[in-house]
Amino acid sequence: MTKIWIKTLAAIILIGLLIAFPKVMGVLNTNIFIGFAIMALFAVSLNLMLGYTGLLSFGHAMFFGLGAYTTALSLKHIDNLPISMALLLGVLGAVVCAVIVSPLLVRLSGTAFSMLTLAFGQLMYIVCLKFREVTGGADGLGGFPVPDLKIPFTGGIDMTDPVNFYYFAITVLGGCILLIWRFTKTPIGSVMISIRDNDNRVDYLGFHVPSVKSLVFIVSGGFAGAAGAIYALFQNMVSTDGVLGLFTSFNPIIMTIIGGVSSFTGPIIGAGLLTILEEFLLRYTDRIALFNGLVLILMIKFAPGGIMGIWDGVYRKWFKRRTLS
Amino acid sequence: MNILETKDLLFDYSGHKVLNGVNLEIREGERHAVIGPNGAGKTTLFNVITGSYKPSSGSIKFQGREISGMKPYQLNRMGVGRSFQITSTFAKQTVFQNARMGILSKQKVRFNPFSKVDKMHKITNETNLLLEQSNLAESADMPAGLLSYGKNRALEICLALSTDPQLVMLDEPTAGISKDETKTLVELIRKLTENKTMVIIEHDMDVVFSLADRITVLHHGEVLACDAPEVIKNDPFVKQAYLGTLEV
Repeated sequence: MTKIWIKTLAAIILIGLLIAFPKVMGVLNTNIFIGFAIMALFAVSLNLMLGYTGLLSFGHAMFFGLGAYTTALSLKHIDNLPISMALLLGVLGAVVCAVIVSPLLVRLSGTAFSMLTLAFGQLMYIVCLKFREVTGGADGLGGFPVPDLKIPFTGGIDMTDPVNFYYFAITVLGGCILLIWRFTKTPIGSVMISIRDNDNRVDYLGFHVPSVKSLVFIVSGGFAGAAGAIYALFQNMVSTDGVLGLFTSFNPIIMTIIGGVSSFTGPIIGAGLLTILEEFLLRYTDRIALFNGLVLILMIKFAPGGIMGIWDGVYRKWFKRRTLS
Repeated sequence: MNILETKDLLFDYSGHKVLNGVNLEIREGERHAVIGPNGAGKTTLFNVITGSYKPSSGSIKFQGREISGMKPYQLNRMGVGRSFQITSTFAKQTVFQNARMGILSKQKVRFNPFSKVDKMHKITNETNLLLEQSNLAESADMPAGLLSYGKNRALEICLALSTDPQLVMLDEPTAGISKDETKTLVELIRKLTENKTMVIIEHDMDVVFSLADRITVLHHGEVLACDAPEVIKNDPFVKQAYLGTLEV
């Protein structure tokens, strides 16, 4: 009973903080926070594959990018498209892409899987770069209209207002993260973890491993697409280097490893940490990647379990709980 | 009636015939042991039957149906369960979560992305029951990787039986554990495989002769003999090839 109370209280405090954030911290920090939340969802969706199923994807940007491009293109070309539809189209774009590539990927694991995802990610990058008539090539696609959010019985809410957009983005991103969390608690979630631990045994227990992997792939891709769609609305600009480049694929991996691969909250913490680090470093230098790399190396060397791994160690010491992670 | 039949089963591993025409008949409900010196092809025989490898030629029939070349998950769904010589569990997950994987499969909840698995009371109850039967209830919350070796072997058998297969294939279940633990494990195997057909690979002759209804002796990928334990004990060829040094 007390556990439920603590959980409810924590949730209320968290929601309260999120509501108060733009009022207290100002517009600049609010925008930084949206950027963090987008990366958090992106990293959490990646972690469904990396942490839960044990599949390292170097091409996760293709879903993020497809989500962003689909949303941007649909807003540019379809008049009076509601913002929610644009968002859904973005997710759909990423899901369709995942459905198409998953049969080629799910029978692989380890290095072969990583290399093939890298190839697909780069393929998507090149296609968008060269398909200039539609995607705008390296210049990208900008200035598309961001429509008002229409809620029945009230007028439209202006989405170009940063605070309004903050509430919209946080609701969508937070909702997505909750949905992913729920997904990990289902029987498929258990099967995912078991595939990571011992896929041979899963096979011998009567589960069809490739179809579970492809479901994970599609769900993971769809949520990465949602993150990309919000990114497109937020920046009002998508470009190949911004949403499909190699660094877009590597960033969530770095975040996940720094935060902790074997936990759900790890990627969120990693995304938060890197965002704060970036904002701090930007005052002094442009060489953000250099410092990110340094943090990554130190983390892998001294705390391979990430921040959450360190926390687990402390927790175990305090409460003498026997865990193995 | 035979639940499992292999005919002229051949498995060629880059020119080396690991299985060289194995004919095996497993009767429904019997406890059948496969023995033979190291390298005789026992584990390969298991791997070919349960779908790890495709046989080079020959046929395997399970309940009258041709199964050679089928995948492990298909065979499991048809009712073939197996354990591994080298313990193959989910080491980072708790014993309960290990066993629950089998129950999820047994109850055909293999592809459910909606319900909360912790709230599926039928699954939870059945998992607890299975753990109790396997004498693992006390260790339910412990990560499998922290179990003692003997308990780990018990979990291995528990996993093999968790999907309630008709045919259970155990690959050296007692390998590497102490005499006392072996006794408990044999009792466990006897209890859990009641009303099932069991094929067991075993090196411990005490276990073999106390469990098995019939014994097949494998040597250089061929069946040397297949008969009741008393007959096998006194078979001069078998003695020479395998039992001779053991003075049974």
